[in-house]
Amino acid sequence: MSIFSYNGAAIVAMAGKECVAIGSDLRFGVQMQTITCDTPKVFKIHDKLYLGLSGLLTDAQTLHQKLMFRHNLYKLREERDMKPSTFGHMLSNALYERRFGPYFAAPVVAGLEPDGTPFLCGMDTIGAIETAKDFMITGTSPESLYGMCESMWRPDMEPDELFETVAQCLMSGFDRDALAGWGAVIHVITKDKVISRTLKTRMD
Amino acid sequence: MDVSRGASHAEAAPSTGTTIVACTYKGGVVFGADGRVSIGNYIMNRASNKIAPLSDYIFLCRSGSAPDTQIISDNVRHYLHQASAESGEEPSVLMAANLVRLLNYNNKDHLVGAMLVVGWDKHAGGQLYGVPISGTLAKEKWAIDGSGSSYIWGYCDSEFKEDMTRAEAENWVKEALALAMTRDASSGGTIRMYTLDDAGVHYTYIPGDQVPQFMGDLPFPTGGPVGAVLGSAGREGGMVIG
Repeated sequence: MSIFSYNGAAIVAMAGKECVAIGSDLRFGVQMQTITCDTPKVFKIHDKLYLGLSGLLTDAQTLHQKLMFRHNLYKLREERDMKPSTFGHMLSNALYERRFGPYFAAPVVAGLEPDGTPFLCGMDTIGAIETAKDFMITGTSPESLYGMCESMWRPDMEPDELFETVAQCLMSGFDRDALAGWGAVIHVITKDKVISRTLKTRMD
Repeated sequence: MDVSRGASHAEAAPSTGTTIVACTYKGGVVFGADGRVSIGNYIMNRASNKIAPLSDYIFLCRSGSAPDTQIISDNVRHYLHQASAESGEEPSVLMAANLVRLLNYNNKDHLVGAMLVVGWDKHAGGQLYGVPISGTLAKEKWAIDGSGSSYIWGYCDSEFKEDMTRAEAENWVKEALALAMTRDASSGGTIRMYTLDDAGVHYTYIPGDQVPQFMGDLPFPTGGPVGAVLGSAGREGGMVIG
């Protein structure tokens, strides 16, 4: 079994009109056994920047801790939060540092730049970065998630519509994945607030 | 990343990673199965039928390799049909169970099928036989099999009672399946349940949204173990950067 499908995850991030949304499933399992359903895979870095990490959960957790450490130091020195685009490139560099013994995690970065424009990027396990204007996904069933996002995404969605779209893409995507699901959490980031909601989903 | 994903799809065989549950009660047998068929982690079929009829009143609950169990069920259905044509009677459940067992035992190097043979005949009423991999035959009062069964042995042991009513037995089967479907990633989707008594065959289909749920309303996730480390300092009034 692949190291990337040892735990299981589904993460979707989308850009709307001056807002971004990012969501993940809540399953924590070891191969085919489900252990808990309260483990999100999206983490807050600061009010306008969220990070989703799929892959081996131990590496996702460690990477998150290391990045929080680096962002905290950055905040002390720069006296401001890191821009999402900067964070994305920092993460890409951090992953490539481990080119021949990588973190088995694939990140998605979603945030709002200081001027309010949405920022989305995704990387593979060794830090090859790609930005997108529409959506970014990662997880154990990428085909299902891509299919849903390609058909449902439209430009300039308002926050409520964006939430609905991310919710439907995530849920329909992970309902065909045995290793992801058991609930979902979605964060919608706008310039003045973040609304976080959980979804009641199938628990199988 | 893509290479390993492609490999797992291409190499994994379709498997009814499954839960099958059956029990006898006062008057007959109740049995059921989940509906998930997966290739690796892709759910190829979310509403499959894992219960195959072997004759009018004898059924096979299939778990293990999907193609192996389908071939076994086709073969045994054929033999039983021939046997009942020659004898002029409905086939017996014991004969069906033995035929399944012989196929499992004589081809043990090749077949991976863990099955339950359940039925009703006029000689002995409702009966249940477990036929696991390699060809054991065991007559049982209740039986479970498949990958999801690991999670429900405790439930089945503690909740099973002799001589249950039909409603109690159906509830036992349904709850056992639902509990396994919650914990086992390779079981899920739908529940198909049959009850056999002297009046005949009764079939119940429970779609995914009507399967019993046990999780209740969960609190908002804080972020698991990592969130607990990074968030608790804030809650206690300590300094949190980020």
